[in-house]
Amino acid sequence: MNHQALIAILLLAPLVGFLINGFRFRSQNYIAAGSIATSALIISFICAVILFFELVGMSPESRTIKAEFFDWIAVGNFKVNAGFVVDQISSIMLLIITGVGTLIHLFSIGYMHHDKGVTKYFSYLNFFIFNMLILVLGDSLLTMFVGWEGVGLCSYLLIGFWFSDSAKAAAGMKAFITNRIGDAAFLLGLFILFMSFGTLNFHELNALAPATMEAGWMGAVTLGTLMLFIGATGKSAQIPLYVWLPDAMAGPTPVSALIHAATMVTAGVYMIIRLNPLFVSAPNTMMVIAIIGAATAVMAATIGLTQNDIKKVLAYSTVSQLGYMFLAVGVGAFGAGMMHLMTHAFFKALMFLGAGSVIHGMVDEQDIRKMGGLKKYMKITHWTFVMGWLAIIGFPLFSGFFSKDEILWNAYSSPRGHIGLWIAGVVGAMLTAFYMTRLMALTFWGKSRVDQSVHPHESSASMTIPLIILAVLAAVSGFVGVPHVISEYLGHIPNFWEHWLEPVIRKLPEVELQSVTHSVSEEWTLMGTSVVLALSSATAAFIMYTKKLGSADKVANAIKPVYDLIDNKYYVDEFYFGAIINPLIAQSKKLWYYVDVNFIDKMTYAVTDFTQNTGKLVKTLQNGNMQQYAMYISLGLVAVLSFVLMR
Amino acid sequence: MSMDTVLFWFLSLIVIVPALAVVLLSNPVYSALSLVMTMVGVAAVFATLNAYFLAGVQLIVYTGAVMVLFVMVLMLFDLKHDLQTFSRGKVSGFLKIAGVGVMAGLLVGAISLATKKPSLIVEGSPLANELAAAAASGADNTKILAENLFLRNMLGFEILGVLLLVIAVGTVALSRSKGGTHARD
Amino acid sequence: MQEISLLLAVGLNHYLILSAILFTIGLSGVLLRRNLIVVMMSIELMLNAVNISFVAFSKYNYNPEGQVIVFFVMTIAAAEAAVGLAIIVSIFKRFKEVNIRFFEHLKG
Repeated sequence: MNHQALIAILLLAPLVGFLINGFRFRSQNYIAAGSIATSALIISFICAVILFFELVGMSPESRTIKAEFFDWIAVGNFKVNAGFVVDQISSIMLLIITGVGTLIHLFSIGYMHHDKGVTKYFSYLNFFIFNMLILVLGDSLLTMFVGWEGVGLCSYLLIGFWFSDSAKAAAGMKAFITNRIGDAAFLLGLFILFMSFGTLNFHELNALAPATMEAGWMGAVTLGTLMLFIGATGKSAQIPLYVWLPDAMAGPTPVSALIHAATMVTAGVYMIIRLNPLFVSAPNTMMVIAIIGAATAVMAATIGLTQNDIKKVLAYSTVSQLGYMFLAVGVGAFGAGMMHLMTHAFFKALMFLGAGSVIHGMVDEQDIRKMGGLKKYMKITHWTFVMGWLAIIGFPLFSGFFSKDEILWNAYSSPRGHIGLWIAGVVGAMLTAFYMTRLMALTFWGKSRVDQSVHPHESSASMTIPLIILAVLAAVSGFVGVPHVISEYLGHIPNFWEHWLEPVIRKLPEVELQSVTHSVSEEWTLMGTSVVLALSSATAAFIMYTKKLGSADKVANAIKPVYDLIDNKYYVDEFYFGAIINPLIAQSKKLWYYVDVNFIDKMTYAVTDFTQNTGKLVKTLQNGNMQQYAMYISLGLVAVLSFVLMR
Repeated sequence: MSMDTVLFWFLSLIVIVPALAVVLLSNPVYSALSLVMTMVGVAAVFATLNAYFLAGVQLIVYTGAVMVLFVMVLMLFDLKHDLQTFSRGKVSGFLKIAGVGVMAGLLVGAISLATKKPSLIVEGSPLANELAAAAASGADNTKILAENLFLRNMLGFEILGVLLLVIAVGTVALSRSKGGTHARD
Repeated sequence: MQEISLLLAVGLNHYLILSAILFTIGLSGVLLRRNLIVVMMSIELMLNAVNISFVAFSKYNYNPEGQVIVFFVMTIAAAEAAVGLAIIVSIFKRFKEVNIRFFEHLKG
């Protein structure tokens, strides 16, 4: 089978699934809907695996599979093909999307079986996968933008899936509108790049990027990449546009796992890695990205400390982890960013699905204050969740440890890194360890605070099997990219990750110019510091929330102003409402009143009145009065005669 | 001043004054009688133009048949004065009078312009001589008319006959039907 | 001198102008009168005016066709008068009056 057909099947399988389920959306047969959607994903996953091994079989420099289906847009010099490309970066994304996607589809069969709109749900989910694949595979920014918008649409549809609840519908709208701000900037970035380079094709852009830097022609590149980054802050929930992601938890939990943890929100990171030669040419943009990433990582982690909704904690954790990814790409560690993207997809999807399993077992209870001691009721969920917990707090040898450590090390050692970024990263890691342990302690450990009427129970097999698979992945996936310093003690495990991505990642020019060497001991020290700090903070949280339950409140009271500030999420939503949304609404109302009602409406009324009055005037000509008709005849005669005579 | 001239001006008076009376008098019976006067005048004008046969027909058809019809209908309705002789509406009234006046002027202008052009039939040509000779005698005039009517315009004449028959039937049907197609009672 | 010759020598123009005057009088009657019968009479006036010009042309152009047309016109005028009066009679039956405004009902 040739590659073109493989890519076509990969793309079309979810689309066909979407169409089939979309046409029978009234059906409530969750088995049929779920198996159609899941088998579509399995087909895609098989294609992705085949494509991956095709790539493995090629030589490292020529690992690209291209497929061009048709000319999409051709306006003068501007030509865009519906072209798709599978290379080292997109093949990893393909495996994550289709692999994790398949597991989440499987999970959804169990999770959504009582829902009336289950077929609609699965069709949306398949459509999301289709758009995500377009986003990932597209060989130009414009093709990517199609997927970019498509996943935004699906995200909106799925957040507001239970639209009869107006708060959930509003959450969907919030996500959509916030994304729209980012998308506008993204489009502007597209325009700037097209104006500067005359192309939107990734390959051509990346080939042209180094030359521009040598030519000292930086303004357009910096501005364009900055605009693209603003687009990424919208899609990937970074400061200042992160506010939609916590609200997006209104959607079904598997949706949160798939869209708002594993795949869609990483689109911004993916886009930057995809265009890494271009971003490398814009050091200022990189600096902004790194700072925003670090700031988001810390800020979201602090908010996560105070949340009581199990999904909200995970949502802020996602924002924080995405901050790490941006920190990584901001300091030029694109490989580390990509790796954290992957490990995060595994452990965060696992934790969201685990949370889904808990919510399902607790009959739609999401407040962790009403949980506790669930360990004995939900063994599988608990142990898989523990794997995710160990991964995210960076427990040595778990996947999160390798990827996070790689990011922190690069934040310090990279020519574009800084010790401040490292400190922010470590503080974020401590906070992460604290709130995740708090979540574990309040949910699974300690004494049960479960309401008497609720009887927690373990979920069905279709939900636990994905959990187990993801738990294994979360535990071991870090070994694909073991740093050199550690691999020496583990029997020289080669760093597959670095070799795999090497041909498509552009090295920072500073690395080539000045060879700053960092000693091995330096790396060990930093790693040890961060691990020890994170583990001690986890221990502190464990003690506070299992042994001495009152102590957390005491601490909160001791730093009450700070606690209130964090508890209210730094009043960011209130600030947006006060500074932007409400004035905008007020202005819009004024515009509506003065422009629409008093100007445009009156103008249209004037037109209609004019028409009506003219009609009335002309109507009198046709009043049935025979003598007037005769008068018109004679006047016409007069006109004709005068014309003949005057001629 | 020749006899013909005197006759023309006299007949013009006889035609125009009753015609004005037809339009201006408010009692339709007077109008009808004035119209009879006009018709007779027109017949006389025909006679001065050597169309003796047409003068006779005019007298018989108009003054005899048509006017009798009018007067009979008037008698049938038993109308005295019209409540409103002329139609209302200042603007349209002004427009109508102005239109009529301008048209009269234009017609006169057109006539004076048109007759400056040479006649269609060239003086002294054989056709003109023949026609002039024929026109000289009244009897021949009627004969020429008859020949023209019954030989060259036979089809039109016959169609006219059929038309008259249809009209006769239609008139009877119209005046006998009650209310017409939009009858509400 | 022009005026005297106009007054003394009667020609085609005189008849045509007579016809034009008669026509305009008839037209004004059609436009202004409200009594249907008088309107009909005015139409007869206009037809007669046209007839005069036909006969005048016929004489001055030595062409008998004009008289034939007049013959036809008179026939048609008679027919028109018959039909018109029949319609007037039916209007009178319906509205007990012969005002032209009742024709406004024809506009539907």
